[in-house]
Amino acid sequence: MTPILSVEQLRVIFERRSGAHVAVDRISFAMNPGEVVALVGESGSGKTATALAIMGLLPDGGHIGPGSAVRLDGQDLLAMPERKLRDLRGRRIAMVFQEPAAALNPVMRVGDQVAEVAIVHHTDDRRGARQRAMAMLERVGLPNAAALYDAYPHELSGGMRQRVMLAAALLLEPALVIADEPTSALDVTVQAQVLRLLLELQRESGTGVLLITHDLGVVAETCERAMVMQAGRIVESASVDDLFHAPKHEYTRELLEAMPRLRKRA
Amino acid sequence: MSDAPLLDVRGLTVTYRAAGLGKARSVTAVNDVSFAIQRGETLALVGESGSGKSTTARAVLRLVGVDAGSISYDGIDLLALRGEALRRHRRRMQVVFQDPYTSLNPRHTIASIVGEGLIVHGIARGDEVAARVAMLLGEVGLSADTAARYPRELSGGQRQRVAIARALAVDPEFLVLDEAVSALDVTTQAHILALIQRLRDARHLTCLFIAHNLAVVQQVATTVAVMYAGRIVEVAPSATLFDAPRHPYTKALLDAVPASDPRDRRDRGVHGSGPPVAHPDALPPSL
Repeated sequence: MTPILSVEQLRVIFERRSGAHVAVDRISFAMNPGEVVALVGESGSGKTATALAIMGLLPDGGHIGPGSAVRLDGQDLLAMPERKLRDLRGRRIAMVFQEPAAALNPVMRVGDQVAEVAIVHHTDDRRGARQRAMAMLERVGLPNAAALYDAYPHELSGGMRQRVMLAAALLLEPALVIADEPTSALDVTVQAQVLRLLLELQRESGTGVLLITHDLGVVAETCERAMVMQAGRIVESASVDDLFHAPKHEYTRELLEAMPRLRKRA
Repeated sequence: MSDAPLLDVRGLTVTYRAAGLGKARSVTAVNDVSFAIQRGETLALVGESGSGKSTTARAVLRLVGVDAGSISYDGIDLLALRGEALRRHRRRMQVVFQDPYTSLNPRHTIASIVGEGLIVHGIARGDEVAARVAMLLGEVGLSADTAARYPRELSGGQRQRVAIARALAVDPEFLVLDEAVSALDVTTQAHILALIQRLRDARHLTCLFIAHNLAVVQQVATTVAVMYAGRIVEVAPSATLFDAPRHPYTKALLDAVPASDPRDRRDRGVHGSGPPVAHPDALPPSL
């Protein structure tokens, strides 16, 4: 099977006043189509820098080191002109951020923000895009999608905003969605709903999901495979079953040890 | 030892009013909340955002105004304390907030942050302050040379240790921990939780522990009170609450906690975008 995403020797450097800081240090991994893989790590481990590098969205001062390759459907994203990248983003690869409040445009109706994805990519005319967005808002479980279409982000709860983000990200059924801490800002009951929704949509559309999280509970709940990142490197990559029951790297063991566990009733 | 609780909160109601044109809008953040904490006990107040748990903590600390109810501390009517009496009381009750990035003054050295309470409350003066600060830093697992540094030079975990040292400086008997470990990385969180438990036991502290993470709460609390929409919907000893939750909201909260083992993964029952249960007002009075 050809991997949907293949990352080879990826190196991300941030130029700071104090000098160059290597955030991601020659990591390599691949994902198969439709696979749900976790990238786990603590703050500063380089997991978000990895996501932004794949998306071509590194902030100023950040750049990718020579010898790195990021291939989506076999095409090297790092060698691609921005115009072509923009065509892929939203259509073949999409991203969901931790803070939907920051990722959504505060002065644009949420329905239009979902429809915009289809308009930008010329998959539909305005009317078709509106219908497609409306259907998607329903699919992500927003009650009364017709009324919510015209709402502004501030009128929605955090969980509803994240559903809107998922609607926009999955509208064109991309091959890969990178979800960076998609539920970390949500309450636990809402987190459970949003994770479940993400997996439902993933199954229905066959989208691969790279789930970036610090929460091993979220990994246990959603992923088949996980990669553990520490100080810019992937220190362990395994099936979640092996990772939780036969961790090989000391840092993985430390993370598992530190994980607060609820002793549940039988 | 008396049987009277150290902290006794009854009918606590806190309403926030937003000034605006026309009719003032108001939100009752805490609605007729009652609970008691015995000496040496750790009561955890759990709930999701907007449940009123932090406002309850702030009311107990006399940091927000109270609209109704009573707060009694060691037999003293806390809400009646003013001026010098309130200032003196603050020595007995200290707080550690969630975010050590914003709760420590960035322009002060760690020595000055930790030592301030010693001076303000007349506990130490002159050279004695530095000696006490060094001891406190040692107690929270920081080296003595941390004293000369500034908050920005420390990691999140180190800053939270400083916040704990500052709270303990005045030798309080009651500690409010308002999401004190929520913003920390998981390995750091485990270390700070262990530190809090060790200090609590060594100093016989009574604690009000505010948290949203039930697994963390299970580790530290003797009693758990679950808040939802400004009300306490269930209070029970920790063991009872986790083994036999009675309120549907408590059950929903427990069910929503992600599995800690992929083998325990199961299809979740919670779905839809509304709250997991109706407003507690709509539940049968027996709950």
